[in-house]
Amino acid sequence: MEANNWINEVLESTNGISKATPNQELFSKIQNKINVQNTVSNQWIWIAAASFAVLVSLNIKFIISNSNKTEVPTETIISSVSNNNQLY
Amino acid sequence: MANNKSDFTTLYNEYSVLVYNVALNYLQNIEDAEEITQDVFIQLHTSLHKFQEKSSLKTWIYRITINKCLDFIKHKNSQKRFFIFGKKSQNEFEILNISNFEHPGILLENKEKAAILFGIINELKESQKTAFLLSKVDGLSNPEIAAIMDLSISSVESLVFRAKTILKDKIANKFEEYRKKK
Repeated sequence: MEANNWINEVLESTNGISKATPNQELFSKIQNKINVQNTVSNQWIWIAAASFAVLVSLNIKFIISNSNKTEVPTETIISSVSNNNQLY
Repeated sequence: MANNKSDFTTLYNEYSVLVYNVALNYLQNIEDAEEITQDVFIQLHTSLHKFQEKSSLKTWIYRITINKCLDFIKHKNSQKRFFIFGKKSQNEFEILNISNFEHPGILLENKEKAAILFGIINELKESQKTAFLLSKVDGLSNPEIAAIMDLSISSVESLVFRAKTILKDKIANKFEEYRKKK
């Protein structure tokens, strides 16, 4: 009986609970975090854009330099080898 | 822009107590509850435009808060597991200190018993803990809890019933300790 009463008292111990209020400075902390987040995200956008531009320009440079290279006459080499069939 | 700011301030004034109290009941630590409150409002600020009004705003905020709390607990538990092998951190005190939590809103005469209850609530399964806290501590109705947890009303009823049964058993085990102290 005593045990049951005690169990019920523990179970009902949150009855009449009042709402706790958060620290008054919490809202300004949230606003600061939002402002920092906005600044950081802008920075990252610029960094990402700059990296992309560098990547594109490197690709273009690579393509241009490849297209300017003189082609090696591979066909003539192959035909000379196959005509000879002599390695030594 | 100014309008957005005043909207956000209104949102904060309307829901900060709700978010803070749900987090406090869940995490049983004032600093952690404040951290979750910050995270929830930052998420609300960035994703409020995505809110599709499939549920009420209050239900949506409850869901975000509960999910953040669950993630926070999982993160803390993984840290706790890591500390068994690694270096002890300053946060360990907080993790171990959970069972000594005294809710600031509890009536003075109930403080000791409520501390026992909050300690045992942590041993419940996630869904049982959520249903019990929303029902008993937040005082929500079963249909409201069903909407938040995305379950049927009968499932919520059974979760709350099961949680109460388990809690009764666990509290009964503490009775001998209480008697000896007395």
